[in-house]
Amino acid sequence: MTSPASPRLALPAALKSRPFLTFLVVALVWIVASSFSRGFGAYGHLRYLVELAAVLGLVAAGQTVVVIAGGIDLSVAALVTVSAVGLPLLSPAGDPTGAVAVLAIVAVTSAIGSVTGLGVAYLRVHPMIMTLAMATFLQGVLIIIAGGSAISAQNPLVHWLGNARPFGIPAAVLLWLFVATATLLILHMTPFGARVFAVGANPLAASLSGVPTAATTVAVYAFSGLTAGLTGVVVLGMNGQGYVGIGDPYLLASIAAVVLGGTSILGGRGTYAGTVPGALLLVTITALITVVNASPGWRNILFGTLILALLLLSGREGARR
Amino acid sequence: MTRAALAKSDGSLYWRIQARRMLGVRGLLLLVVGFILAYAALFPGLLTPSGFSKFTQSWFPLALVAMAQALLMLTGGISLAIGAIVSLGAVIAATTMSGALGVAGGTLAVLLAGLGVGVVTGLIVVKLRLPAIVVTLAGSFIIGGAALVILPRPGGSVPIWFSDLLAGDLPTAFAVLVAIVLLWKAYLATPLGLSLYAAGENPVGAYRSGVAVDTAQIAAYALSGMLCAGAGLFVAAQTGSGDPVIGASFTLNSIAAAVLGGVGFLGGRGTMRGALLGSLLLSLMISVMFFLGFTPVAQYVAQGLIIIGAVAIPEIRKVQR
Amino acid sequence: MTAAAPILAARGVSKSFFGNEVLRDVTIELLPGRVHALLGENGAGKSTLINLLSGALRPDGGRIEVDGRPVASFNPAGARAAGVAVVQQELSLTGSLSIAENIGIGDFPRRRGLIDYRALARSTRAALDLVGLDEPLDRPVAELSLGRRQMVEIAKALHRRPRVLILDEPTSSLSSTEAGTLAALVARLSSEGLAILYISHRLNEVLAICDYVTVLKDGVRTADQPMQGVSGPGLVRLMVGRDPGDLFPSWTSDREHRPALSVEGFSAGAMRDVSVEIRRGEVFGIGGLVGQGQEDLLLGLYGAIPAKVRRAVVGDRPALPRSVPEANRLGMAYVPADRKREGLHLLHSIATNLMLPAFARWPALRLRDRAGERRTTRDLAAHFSIRGDLSRAAQALSGGNQQKVALAKWMPHDPSILLLNDPTRGVDVDTKREIYGMLRGFASEGKAVVLLSSDAQELVHVADRVLVVREGRVAALIDREDLREETIVAAAMGAERERVAT
Repeated sequence: MTSPASPRLALPAALKSRPFLTFLVVALVWIVASSFSRGFGAYGHLRYLVELAAVLGLVAAGQTVVVIAGGIDLSVAALVTVSAVGLPLLSPAGDPTGAVAVLAIVAVTSAIGSVTGLGVAYLRVHPMIMTLAMATFLQGVLIIIAGGSAISAQNPLVHWLGNARPFGIPAAVLLWLFVATATLLILHMTPFGARVFAVGANPLAASLSGVPTAATTVAVYAFSGLTAGLTGVVVLGMNGQGYVGIGDPYLLASIAAVVLGGTSILGGRGTYAGTVPGALLLVTITALITVVNASPGWRNILFGTLILALLLLSGREGARR
Repeated sequence: MTRAALAKSDGSLYWRIQARRMLGVRGLLLLVVGFILAYAALFPGLLTPSGFSKFTQSWFPLALVAMAQALLMLTGGISLAIGAIVSLGAVIAATTMSGALGVAGGTLAVLLAGLGVGVVTGLIVVKLRLPAIVVTLAGSFIIGGAALVILPRPGGSVPIWFSDLLAGDLPTAFAVLVAIVLLWKAYLATPLGLSLYAAGENPVGAYRSGVAVDTAQIAAYALSGMLCAGAGLFVAAQTGSGDPVIGASFTLNSIAAAVLGGVGFLGGRGTMRGALLGSLLLSLMISVMFFLGFTPVAQYVAQGLIIIGAVAIPEIRKVQR
Repeated sequence: MTAAAPILAARGVSKSFFGNEVLRDVTIELLPGRVHALLGENGAGKSTLINLLSGALRPDGGRIEVDGRPVASFNPAGARAAGVAVVQQELSLTGSLSIAENIGIGDFPRRRGLIDYRALARSTRAALDLVGLDEPLDRPVAELSLGRRQMVEIAKALHRRPRVLILDEPTSSLSSTEAGTLAALVARLSSEGLAILYISHRLNEVLAICDYVTVLKDGVRTADQPMQGVSGPGLVRLMVGRDPGDLFPSWTSDREHRPALSVEGFSAGAMRDVSVEIRRGEVFGIGGLVGQGQEDLLLGLYGAIPAKVRRAVVGDRPALPRSVPEANRLGMAYVPADRKREGLHLLHSIATNLMLPAFARWPALRLRDRAGERRTTRDLAAHFSIRGDLSRAAQALSGGNQQKVALAKWMPHDPSILLLNDPTRGVDVDTKREIYGMLRGFASEGKAVVLLSSDAQELVHVADRVLVVREGRVAALIDREDLREETIVAAAMGAERERVAT
């Protein structure tokens, strides 16, 4: 497991590390699935899976940082929806590339994240309650804004992000690579990252050591707002239109990706390097379950059972609370 | 205090402990009484037998899930599968009661299903030491999936006489709630019941003192499952049929009610009477907003704000002191 | 004393963790009516031995005997059944439950399956009487002071009517009155035939209470003998394995005239109306009974809790810091008493812990210099003689070494004011000596050292002046000339305050 102070993993340690093992599981599943179903291993299908994982990986980037800081963000789904529904409404004239609208909506979701962070840091509301309440609040606001109808976007940048394939690589995957690199750098190579780990492991000791815990907490939720906003933009680009509920699948999936990647749900330990294969694994499982021709009920049962089984296999939390 | 006075107070130990617990929720109690008076002033119908019955029926399922969640939170756990178990209870009730099993058999089936789900969840969390949030998250897929398998679309039925009995003009629901509360008091007066607090707050110390920590925690999950399934049965009786996703909103509301009632996330903090009052407060707020003509949207917004406020205000007052 | 047979004994027990042998071939016999001291430095294997005797762990080799008969698989339930009760340092109480429920838990009197509260009230009142507590039984434990909780914990052990009572550092958070009550109780219980195992770092206590002593060093029994004729230095020699020398450094005043910190009319938390001037180059002691508001004084000065003040000067600045980062910028550093909860990140590596104040001060998004960090942490570790791999988790360190990490991490910032909250609590003798040396060293460098301590002896030997706190107020400010253990204790107890102050 990567902690802020194990800079260089020796090779055997790297081979035993949680991220690597999770990648290994993904690769195994792909190989086995491809040998059973020709379509699964096709380049186009795998690329599609990675594209789906990119979307999940984006939301999960913010979720990972929040969880490492000892919190949890149950408002990511609402934030994704805010972004996907709000962006078409925020398209000023004289914005031929659409970049202004994208920047504006991401700024909005980051601001909402900061407000959540302020509540957690200064009002001392438990993160689960604060983010739930924020999600409930946003749900109301969204219905006022969008009603029940879908809103389509005429934004070139959004369309590009959702559909373009420069050098044969989907734009969403490129964006994911960029965000993933940035997240890993921030977590493991900056003092801010070290503060996030410290706040997550023991907020009292962190604050007595001079860590600005409140500011760190606010920043962490703002970051989650930012990545959720980006996710909304990509989802909107892929779907062509936004509607209330478009972000719902990403709440549980983002938490599951974080936990499958080996980050402790209790905070203070983990890495985004695990969340990346975690997202790939989750998307792969979902795809496999779709291949199995089952009713929605059985699909849910399979999905839940597989996640549980993977958790059981991949290590326990220990008796720490 | 003098020796004589101490000796005298020792005799009524049980009731003095109860009185202290009541003292702990007196602020909340005053608030709830205030709300009830305001509500009764606005809608005198509350004071008629049928108005009282209707109000307690709208409260009943929320009260049950709040108790279910509080039970787990007291042991240091949490459940994100509350809604799914409510749905499962509802569909089992709607598919069995009009069939061969009849009302009694159906009720038994519902309670056994809740008990079974709870025991299995508890075993996984306690014996395999996996984090409760993640297990119940995965569990919510499995249990919700099972509900969908039993009843893919809303349907089934509950005998009309049974619906009328539970959700008609008689205060049966209130009577059942009183009975459940009395059973809870009896459980808390057993060594196993009381050890719930010790197991939640100081599990290591409790274990050293000879408390069956694991058993207490698994029992909490089992009772919690039964309460949720019972809430599902009631919801099915209320609507006269089953719906596989009817429980969805109960997960969040159960947490909100327990937290409003002063139950803490870390285990051992809070009381069941607090959770009940919290659920009553939430239920009153929803009813008042409904009668004041708030749109569902405004209700969302208001609910989000009220929950944050209720949790944050005591914290702010503490800082100011 | 008759040569009675031991009630509980460990014979030739060994225990290893992850290949590290922490106990090797240790034998100990607990006899009825004997108060048996178990001594050893931190990490000598005392806790492991207690865990073996209470069934929490099983020995790798050797055996546990109850009443002379070997027990095949000894577990906590078996130990309880054999009449073994343990009072550990980490309390086993539940704050939200009442005193009576806490004492009875795990062993409730029942009637028809329910807890019999009447019987519970009777038996727990009797147990409370033994330890001299007259609290209402329905009072939640969370409302009690730490010392009273400790007494409830002891009452809880006695409630089971044990034959063997193991007390692990029972006086660490007791006031001297409570400690006196406990000493009398121990004497009485042993005269009633209980076998008592007593673990303490306070040698005076051990000398006063115990009849027999077993000493562990590095997992091996180095002494097992009656207490008669053993002196304090003799005990230390047994524990450390060599002559104790002098625990305290020689005292010379480095006190300067320039103040480092001065406050007038300071209030924070439970602390009221303090006016004091702390000079550079002095060790300024803060004493008094445990939990009288001393900690709030430190935290208030440090900006960690809100403080009100009429006038304050810190360095050249005419105000107190309002936050911890601000205090750090002003050159203040704080070392908490509770290392595990407040001082360290136990899960994180020693190196990360050492770097944390730096991480807190550096610009948030600057790229880290890993090589530079390694140099810094290596130097700190060498200077404070923290041995071993710095990438290990901090929880792998002994208490003394953890304390050194908590102190060392501030050194890169060269703080001018050190606020230390009981830095030698639960620390072994050798580390204590090192820490005392460091404190005088800091003072000679012109730093102001504020030393909060529950140990009056330590204050007398290390401090320039001692501020004694009682019930949230300054009870006395004792100058070097009058600094004796008796004056501190007298002021702390509120006895003849006038005489002490003059």
